Amino acid sequence: MKLYKKEGNLLQIISFHTESAEKGDYLLVEDQDAAKALIAQVIDVQFAAVPGVLEELLRTLPDGGESLQGEDIDPMEIAPHITYIQDASLLICKIRATLENEMLSPSSSWLPSRSQSTIKKLSIPMLMKLAKVDGKLPIILGGTKDSSLLTIDASAIDGTLNIITGKKGCGKSHLSKLLMVNLVGYKATVVIFDLNGEYTSLGMSNDGKRNLYYDKIHTLAPGQNFKVALEQLHLNTVMGILVNALHLPGTSAREFRRIWKMLKEKGKLNMQELGEAIRDLNCNQHVRDALASRFHSLANSGFFTDCPGEATLLDESILKSKDVGGAIVINLKNTSNIDRQIVVEYALGKLVDSLSNWKLKAVFLFAEEAHLYLRETYWDDIVTRMRHFGIFTTFITNQPDTIQETIYRQADNIFLFNFTNEHDLDVVSRAARVDAETVRSIAHDLPPHHCLTLGKVVSDFPIVARVRALDIKTMGETRLFFKE
Amino acid sequence: MIEQYTTTNKYNFPQPTTDTTLPQRFLEQSLHSLRQVQQPFQLNPQTPQQFSPTEQYPSSIQLKPQPIPIKPDHQETLIAAVDTSTIKIGETATGMIIAVRGAITWCQNRAYKYTRLGPFIFHITEENKNALYNTLEHAYFSTSYSSTHPSAPNIMQMPMRLASLLERWLQTMLARTVNHGIILFDGSLTSGTLDTPVQRLKEILGYARRNSSIVLAFSKATTLRANGILITEQLPNHDPPYLLETMGIHSKPPLILLGDVYVARLNRANLAFRVDVDKETPIEQRMEAMQKLIGNDLYTQSYPETLRLSHILCTFTANEVLAIKHFITRKYGIQIINRPDMHRLLFGPFGSGEIYT
Repeated sequence: MKLYKKEGNLLQIISFHTESAEKGDYLLVEDQDAAKALIAQVIDVQFAAVPGVLEELLRTLPDGGESLQGEDIDPMEIAPHITYIQDASLLICKIRATLENEMLSPSSSWLPSRSQSTIKKLSIPMLMKLAKVDGKLPIILGGTKDSSLLTIDASAIDGTLNIITGKKGCGKSHLSKLLMVNLVGYKATVVIFDLNGEYTSLGMSNDGKRNLYYDKIHTLAPGQNFKVALEQLHLNTVMGILVNALHLPGTSAREFRRIWKMLKEKGKLNMQELGEAIRDLNCNQHVRDALASRFHSLANSGFFTDCPGEATLLDESILKSKDVGGAIVINLKNTSNIDRQIVVEYALGKLVDSLSNWKLKAVFLFAEEAHLYLRETYWDDIVTRMRHFGIFTTFITNQPDTIQETIYRQADNIFLFNFTNEHDLDVVSRAARVDAETVRSIAHDLPPHHCLTLGKVVSDFPIVARVRALDIKTMGETRLFFKE
Repeated sequence: MIEQYTTTNKYNFPQPTTDTTLPQRFLEQSLHSLRQVQQPFQLNPQTPQQFSPTEQYPSSIQLKPQPIPIKPDHQETLIAAVDTSTIKIGETATGMIIAVRGAITWCQNRAYKYTRLGPFIFHITEENKNALYNTLEHAYFSTSYSSTHPSAPNIMQMPMRLASLLERWLQTMLARTVNHGIILFDGSLTSGTLDTPVQRLKEILGYARRNSSIVLAFSKATTLRANGILITEQLPNHDPPYLLETMGIHSKPPLILLGDVYVARLNRANLAFRVDVDKETPIEQRMEAMQKLIGNDLYTQSYPETLRLSHILCTFTANEVLAIKHFITRKYGIQIINRPDMHRLLFGPFGSGEIYT
């Protein structure tokens, strides 16, 4: 390989077919005289503009257009050299860092010698060693192209905002599960808003038997084993549900607050008493109607109960996970849009409550297709305010444009699967820790189950890896009509 | 009357019995010369890279105004063409490195096929040029006509002379192997030059006649003028294809023209070419040959496709030149160095020397 050009932080390197380099590979451009080296990543592979190639190709086509047949008597065996030159490729590489005295710096301001520099491939383990991507809490994401393992540290997900995105069926949920079980393995508390009920069997292995996570997976199905009693709720949580999920106007909200306090003082804080209080309320007709309709929504959700024995508190699951770790899977599969919002509003309120009272140290929240249940104003809340309480969110989506731009800008880690659509790639490339060229070039060609990992977990060295298999019962498969 | 059918003439070049001494000698001499390179060799030589032949022409030429129409004759006939090319790869302290290649193309049943020979790479120096040239010529000819000439050529002429040697050998091979065909040469049938002794060309034409083949030599460019105007630019207002006959061409010794010169305009493209036809071929057979040529070959640019392909296939592309440099660097450890271009160095952007991209 030979260094050809440097423009900004882009390098162009001439490579021959014997030196196979592909998109995603890392190269070390070492200038021994300068005692420095550039670490660059191949983001595109093109044909080198070898002069005379067009003539070479054209002359095998006579006027008829069919390929010209013949024999080449080449006693000096020059033909292999012609092929060698003709097949030369041009590697477009992005400079990621400068290596000097075994220290990495993000600088690309120096120019290595074009004639004296040596260029060689840099293996992922060596790169990770140089970048000091190691730690005490390893999570093996998968295998890289050079048959090494891509291992990230769980602490690099701690306190961060993560996005897992890619088109349908490429393995996003699989990666989320991998991260979840590993976090649970390190005694972390994980909460999952499970839109399609595909995380409910995290505790089961492929053959249907219980796995080592079985006791740490707490599946809560709203209306079934996940109900709450009003008396166990804080007024703020209920107000959050009414105002944010059920859009209760301000005047009616004030009236509700008054009723709530009155019932609490009487010790009659339950659904039946609340219904009667609203019915008997002596106030403006519109206010009463507004309150009555919200009450019916709450009652119809099946999420609220007057029987304390039926009420499974989120607190209990949190408590169970607190010391040994655990995943609380909130199964939203069979819930309506309104009910989903009520449940999410309740769960988030409860988590903030637990965290602010230090009942819980921190929680990793996995939110799949969050736009379907998260209100507009919550996005910023989650990435700014709730982060300070200790809620570290991972968004999982196949529609990257449903996540607000501000979220991308603040994302610390992005796990990017294949996208063919240019618009989708444009959206993802807005992330602060990503350069658009890398995303567009590499993500476009990612095979299924291969993920481009970007951000803090890989010390800002984008790495492609095939996500490793998990012995967990698959639940996320699409139900097919024609499948036997 | 029952029409007689004959078996199709088969093109079988190279025949197993054909004398293949020349390529073998070319290879031997090539390898021998390259092993003698001691110093690094330089790019951007000051001399022209592609060599083109120069010819001298007789004067007092007349062009018959009446064109001879040609009707395509589609009777299946083998059309074969030959061309060679040479290029200077670089200079060494003692000489230069060149490459030579030849190509034979043939058209049968509207299908084109080719055989390419080479490239052969030579390191030519003042010291080895005589031995190199004489060895190759000796390998080529049973009788050396060059004995009448004053030793080996000037070193600058060597690339052309080696290419000519290969070309004459390929022409001989075609003339000896093609039966009832049309053989196309690049250039003219002028003999008596340093690289084309009269007897040598006569022999080639003789072989072709004995095999009932006809040689047509197409010149891409000519300097022949009638009344001060190039003969290829005096085209009458007549529907092509046609031939224009020339008169009054008297070659000056030592040059001897072994062909009769025509101007051929083969299609509506406003292009015409000088065509030399073997003098000893009867007029009817000449016309018949032209008719078979346009009945069997393509001529989209008024130039036979078979000959065009020969030229294209033997020409060196920039890619091949790079590959040859790669070959000699790898195989013989010859280091390539860049020599400063004096024109550029002295005159900057006003230097009208070589242009590099």
